[in-house]
Amino acid sequence: MQSPAGLEADVSGMPAGSIAPSEVQQPETHEVALPELPWLVIVWNDPINLMSYVTYVFQKLFGYSRPKAHKLMLDVHYKGRAVVSSGPKERAELDVARLHQHGLWATMEHGG
Amino acid sequence: MIFRRRIRLSRAGGYEIRLAPEERDLLAALPLQLVSLLDEVGDKTHDELPDALRRLLPTAYATDPEAERAFVAMTREDLLEHHRDSLETMSRTAKATWLDEEQLVSWLAALNDLRLSLGSMLGATEEEAEPPGAQLHPAEWIAYLYLGGLQSELIDLLEGTLPDPIPGADDLVPEDLWGDPPGDLRWDGTPQPEEL
Repeated sequence: MQSPAGLEADVSGMPAGSIAPSEVQQPETHEVALPELPWLVIVWNDPINLMSYVTYVFQKLFGYSRPKAHKLMLDVHYKGRAVVSSGPKERAELDVARLHQHGLWATMEHGG
Repeated sequence: MIFRRRIRLSRAGGYEIRLAPEERDLLAALPLQLVSLLDEVGDKTHDELPDALRRLLPTAYATDPEAERAFVAMTREDLLEHHRDSLETMSRTAKATWLDEEQLVSWLAALNDLRLSLGSMLGATEEEAEPPGAQLHPAEWIAYLYLGGLQSELIDLLEGTLPDPIPGADDLVPEDLWGDPPGDLRWDGTPQPEEL
């Protein structure tokens, strides 16, 4: 699947000399670009990380309130996994990398 | 028994560290052992890593090997550097009687890295208080328990240094997509734990 950002990049990447004569220029299309599904950042349960540490990391990395961070930690603990953030692919990869630096088991999935 | 805090806020700022010489020896030596393991990682895939390192270098794309390779190529060096920095800082400052906040944050990261490594090696689970490797590796098992206690103290202290929550951040978390898992298993296939 190509992202709207990718399409833009293709157009701007056209050589300057290739501008078509006006009479054959394609009319502007009215296709509606569907918003891209966000990527989901998922933290998985593990038997080693302390619960208080997981709550601390969610607050530190995402600026969540303590009750929200605690709730997400409990979801990880009792349900086995929880979505802790979402957004464009680059953002999700950054969040996963930061969670890995803090020793949490995070993966990302496309969907919603 | 009165619980004596080993680390506490200093009136002059920073943190006072009150540890026995044996504790300091452990905190100086253990991190360097893990650093030497990290030096062997190179571009090994997750499956090729020894148990002691798997949790320090987790996968990002569980079902897409090509995306995972690209992610590792992009992030591995930074991740290794982050682990090494924290571990070397703790080892270097293990004898200190005072630490600043940045150093204490490094200690927290190093303690967590060491516990992830030792816990994986011992085969720690949530179901059993004592992991399968405890009898075979008693020194590592004792170190694992000790580091967990010290880490808890650090978390209590460092929670107080967190900045205020970002307004509206809580509302950006997607709703729980999956809800409660069916039966007695969690979504990752492990047994649901007892309620706290």
